[in-house]
Amino acid sequence: MTQTLTEDDLYRTSTQYRLWSFSPESLAAQRRKTHDLAIERARRYGGSLSSGGSEDGAAHEEAYVRADEELRLVQRYCEQIRTTSDHFKWPINVKATAVQYLRRFYLSNSCLTYPPKEIYKTVLFLACKTEATHMTLSEYARRISTDPDAILAPEYKVMQALRFTLDVRQPYKGLKGVLMELLNMASGMVGEVEGVDTKGAKALQQDMLGLEKPPKDAQTIWTAPAGNTEVKHLTDRINAAYSAARQLLDKPALLTDVYFLYTPSQLLLAALRLADSPLLSFYLTTKLPLSSPVRPKILATVHSCADFLAAFSERQIMTKDERAALEAKLESCLDPSTKDLVKAHAAAKLGSESDEEEKVKKRKLAREKSFKEGEELFGPSLGAAGAANGGKG
Amino acid sequence: MSPVSKRDPRLGGGGGGGPDGELHTVMRGLSLQAPMPTDTGPAEVCPVCKSSRYLNSSLRFLVNPECYHKMCESCVDRIFSHGPAQCPIPGCRRTLRKHRFREQTFEDIQVEREVDIRKKVQAVFNKREEEFEGLREYNDYLNDVEDITFNLVNNIDVEETGRRFEAYQKANEKEIEENAQLAQQEKVSFSAMQKAERQQARERRDAARREENDERREVEENKRDVLNRLASGADAETVAKEGQQVQLKKRMDRQAATERQRQLQAASDSRNGSSNFVVKGLKAKQKAEPEAPIDPFGGIRIASKYFTLQDHYVWEGIQDTQKDVKHIAGGYDVRDYTHRSLCAAFSGLGVFIADEMTERDRATQDSEAIGTVRADIGLKDSLMADPL
Repeated sequence: MTQTLTEDDLYRTSTQYRLWSFSPESLAAQRRKTHDLAIERARRYGGSLSSGGSEDGAAHEEAYVRADEELRLVQRYCEQIRTTSDHFKWPINVKATAVQYLRRFYLSNSCLTYPPKEIYKTVLFLACKTEATHMTLSEYARRISTDPDAILAPEYKVMQALRFTLDVRQPYKGLKGVLMELLNMASGMVGEVEGVDTKGAKALQQDMLGLEKPPKDAQTIWTAPAGNTEVKHLTDRINAAYSAARQLLDKPALLTDVYFLYTPSQLLLAALRLADSPLLSFYLTTKLPLSSPVRPKILATVHSCADFLAAFSERQIMTKDERAALEAKLESCLDPSTKDLVKAHAAAKLGSESDEEEKVKKRKLAREKSFKEGEELFGPSLGAAGAANGGKG
Repeated sequence: MSPVSKRDPRLGGGGGGGPDGELHTVMRGLSLQAPMPTDTGPAEVCPVCKSSRYLNSSLRFLVNPECYHKMCESCVDRIFSHGPAQCPIPGCRRTLRKHRFREQTFEDIQVEREVDIRKKVQAVFNKREEEFEGLREYNDYLNDVEDITFNLVNNIDVEETGRRFEAYQKANEKEIEENAQLAQQEKVSFSAMQKAERQQARERRDAARREENDERREVEENKRDVLNRLASGADAETVAKEGQQVQLKKRMDRQAATERQRQLQAASDSRNGSSNFVVKGLKAKQKAEPEAPIDPFGGIRIASKYFTLQDHYVWEGIQDTQKDVKHIAGGYDVRDYTHRSLCAAFSGLGVFIADEMTERDRATQDSEAIGTVRADIGLKDSLMADPL
């Protein structure tokens, strides 16, 4: 029973596909549902919170954080994760994983329940563990000047919200693969794909040299040389496109919902398209047979993904003041049951800890007793022994 | 050579007589009918160089199984030292090689030849009785083999028979090899068994001797004891009676001990199973199927639809690793990296999340926003219902 799996089938086996991929509508619906539930809960305990003997419902509504504000706050903390990770000089995959953890966490939890100010530290620490970039907890806590317990307290909750799936498929490795293939094509080597007629490596190289210039709005810093394009220039062009695409995958990709909506492969091709569209369309002609029925669909998906990335702008990111205002507002309507996560965490662990203490105490007592008996060379003192005997008799 | 025997082909071997029967007949005839040729006969003169044993007492005659013409050792050295040459006997055109020359074993050159042929045939037709359904089939087979042997020995239809012989050899190469190995193993284990038996016999002899010595010594001790007691002035009759009783008791003890020993031995023998007992008439064992190559993915093949891996990539990021001993020594192949990268580059290119997820959502309209609802449920709670 030989079964053949293509790259697409491999992706369909991943948890990212099975649990963490959404259509735009379902993503919005999911967020709305989470937010509505959070607001409902907030209303339930809201009465006790509002001290000034409350007025009408409208004022209350004003007090709660809106769904779009919540989303922007999460985005703000994604940016925070990026800067913190860069500060630690961690590799890019830690950053991407941590950002995705944060986004996934806030799909089923609201900022009203768990403030992102605390959670982002936890997910970053979790990501550095899952991506095998190790740092001790004490070192990490020291460098972000936080209490270690505050980092660990929400960890289990985060794991639960992530449904214990820690794999985040990222586009960076794939982007390197594309870079390798493009460079090989530029130097006249090609691995033919079944069903695609490429007329040989030399012809491809010539085609590649004759590619049109990148358009004005392209992200690449490469500019066409004055004279004839040579292989050297071509290599530069590819490398420039690569680094531009990487930039795009670093910032806009991490600060938008693109991981939920597209696959890493589509994402990296979209980034390349923004960087150098003639190069990318040339590359895709060597990959997708013209007769293939999915070809137009793949191209359309890559285009829409590229548009999604291009729509991102720096201005969307919340400023510091805005954040401070929002968090002050959040503070007033925070869920009291999850306010002190450290305490809750300690309480959850308490039962097992007290047992442990008892055991330690018992062991200590036994040790002292045996030590005392060893000290008295000729056994316990006569009086004590006699008393014991008398008791028995 | 025209050595046509007048015997009927069926006469010698018979049905199940085995291939050796005929040989024995021939050999018996040889010793009875052909007395040693006298040293004056032509056998003592080399037919090539005409030197005779009379002049050279160390003369050795050699034959080549190709044509069985006899010649002296010095002629062999002289003619065949420089490689294969024609037989120097007039009328014989066969090409001979030096390394095939050997000393004659049997006086009669015909017997020598027959033994050779039989050896050759036996080496190929080495089927064993266990491989046959019954004795009848085995005997039929032996009969066929004997026919072939007889034809070869007596030069009847040599061409045809030779062809059949070779065809069989070619067709059954593997089985022949296996049977030969089996025979070899049997030979080895048989000699090992014989050795073990000899060892046991020696041990038995030693034990018997020791026992005898012990007995003799005890008798002497007893005698001395009786004498001592007599010397110390005890009643002669009682002492003698007591001495006899002690001796008798000791002997009885010893006998009982050996008997016990023997019983123990017998018990252990029956437990181990006697090696002499051979089960006959077994069918050939079903050979185990050769092991299939390991399939780590359990029948799933991973095919790449969007790329073909190349052996070499010019990207400088992997050039150092490719040559670095630290990486190569551990068995790391940079192709693993390139393959993984390319696989990651296209994994999911043809997956359209928006479409597929809409379809899936239609199938399962289930709530997922349970996290917030259950925020107050303790941290220990790990009930995570998978909606899929």
